[in-house]
Amino acid sequence: LDETQVRQDPEVPSAVAAIRTLLEFLKRDQSETILGLRENLTQTIRRLEEADSSVAVSSGGELFLRFISLTSLEHPDLSQCKKVMVERGELFLKKISLSRSKVAKLCHTFIKDGAKILTHSSSRVVLKVLESAAADKKRFTVYVTESQPDSAGQMADKLQNLNIPVTVVLDAAVGYIMEKVDLVIVGAEGVVESGGIINKIGTYQLAVCSKAHNKPFYVVAESFKFVRLYPLNQQDVPERFKYKADTLKAVEDLAEEHPMIDYTPPSLITLLFTDLGVLTPSAVSDELIKLYL
Amino acid sequence: MPGADKEADLTERIEAFLADLKRGGCGTGPIRGSGETARETTALLRKVTAQARWSSAGDLMEIIRKEGRRMTAAQPSETTVGNMVLRVLKIIREEYARSRGSSEETDQQESLHKLLTSGGLSDENFRQHYVHLKANVIEAINELLTELEGTTDNIAMQALEHIHSNEVIMTVGRSRTVEAFLKDAARKRKFHVIVAECAPFCQGHEMATNLSKASIETTVIADAAIFAVMSRVNKVIIGTQTVLANGGLRAVNGTHTVALAARHHSTPLIVCAPMFKLSPQVVITTVVRNRIILSKVNVHCPVFDYVPPELITLFISNIGGNAPSYIYRLMSELYHPEDHDL
Repeated sequence: LDETQVRQDPEVPSAVAAIRTLLEFLKRDQSETILGLRENLTQTIRRLEEADSSVAVSSGGELFLRFISLTSLEHPDLSQCKKVMVERGELFLKKISLSRSKVAKLCHTFIKDGAKILTHSSSRVVLKVLESAAADKKRFTVYVTESQPDSAGQMADKLQNLNIPVTVVLDAAVGYIMEKVDLVIVGAEGVVESGGIINKIGTYQLAVCSKAHNKPFYVVAESFKFVRLYPLNQQDVPERFKYKADTLKAVEDLAEEHPMIDYTPPSLITLLFTDLGVLTPSAVSDELIKLYL
Repeated sequence: MPGADKEADLTERIEAFLADLKRGGCGTGPIRGSGETARETTALLRKVTAQARWSSAGDLMEIIRKEGRRMTAAQPSETTVGNMVLRVLKIIREEYARSRGSSEETDQQESLHKLLTSGGLSDENFRQHYVHLKANVIEAINELLTELEGTTDNIAMQALEHIHSNEVIMTVGRSRTVEAFLKDAARKRKFHVIVAECAPFCQGHEMATNLSKASIETTVIADAAIFAVMSRVNKVIIGTQTVLANGGLRAVNGTHTVALAARHHSTPLIVCAPMFKLSPQVVITTVVRNRIILSKVNVHCPVFDYVPPELITLFISNIGGNAPSYIYRLMSELYHPEDHDL
């Protein structure tokens, strides 16, 4: 169910596809008790994670589980609870489909005329931000990193379609190009409790370089990517996120594999643009506490 | 007719205020302090609430927003005007919510929690009419005015905790808040103050005269000497024009220099700023004054500096001391996110 969803619409972020699948599952579920429902859902989430091991799916799944618990507290009767859940689920999906535009609206004012922007890998949110800035008649140039091992050449093509001058640079050339750049904007696969982010490998390097050159480092992420992790260093990020799902199943010794993501600590991030507003990294944990406690 | 008279009087007062604002920003530096601006704005908004014709909270908010836009357009660099308008809007929302009987929590800002649990897309249009809303709002605005009147004293009261005997304190230009702060500490402690004169308006001179009248040992230095003297300074205490949402400052020209020098020598940088200076903006356009002193030379003279939050140690406000990373929280308590763009 999930595979078909994701393939149908490449614009949909993986977390949203996961949540949509879970909602469908909820509608068809036959369990008699809330506990049974939760167990089935947890199993489904685990199966989804096996198909796509990104942080976003995990955070989307946890958010959905939390949503179920909160709703079940208000309506102890199962059938009524289910009706309310399905209603609220649809509403939630509608709201988060608007979140990307909200983020773009907040962020594009930070892009000034004549700015040179550096971004990493392919992010649909960053693309939306750059689209809104271009629609606002701002002139700017973009440098995109090549982002091996699965090169993000698609980002460059999409930007060219929008008539934005774009240059692809090697991952190794980030230090070289940093002095020319005015600001750095990246997306995030997950935003952790400390206010740091988990994103495609190479983001940490980018952040360290931009700090050394005193360039602002902006992160754009929707709020459903907030995840309850608190890594203190790179090794703390759980293994199941670091590698693609196929790799996790196929390979015995993970020490031989290259990780696909890294962790950027909050001290290197200037501001986070989310659909909840413009946040400093210290404000992120506040938002997570409001939800989970 | 008495009604028409009152309205004419109100518009007259607003016009006078706008004209004053426009004058206050140009010339040789701000003529009026931001505290007075804040108080006058709030008093004016109270008059608008009392005298304008409105039947529901939504109407009142529209009227206030319209007046607010006019006032901020008159003098965009004076952010306290906009801040007070936002405070009043928040007061109106709170009183409306209280009248409706719903707790204040439910109408709070966007959060993940709210995304998950809200029953429907909230279209709060504030259309309901409540009899006591006017009285409640005016009472709340009066409370705000009392708070505004006490800000400098509240900040000065905290001086003794931060200033110790035989310390050397550095400050920049002239700030009424810092002046009161230092004078309050001088009643019980003996310390030295070094004032950077802050060219080209040299307001540091006036500050030094006032401080020495309160028997504080003061030294005036040129801006170029800031770094050289910093090694002998124990603390830097400055005022600011605005506190931005990310914890940064928009302060008088020269403050960034002081902040960098203090960071280099690991000297704590304390900012004394009352809560009404807190603004939800993050991006500020620089205000520049050009003076042509020779016919072929263009002189660029920015009025304000941006100081990033990493250089600041502590904010002392009328509600106590806070770290710059906490400013976002204080802001969420003072203003409602939907009002951020007037």
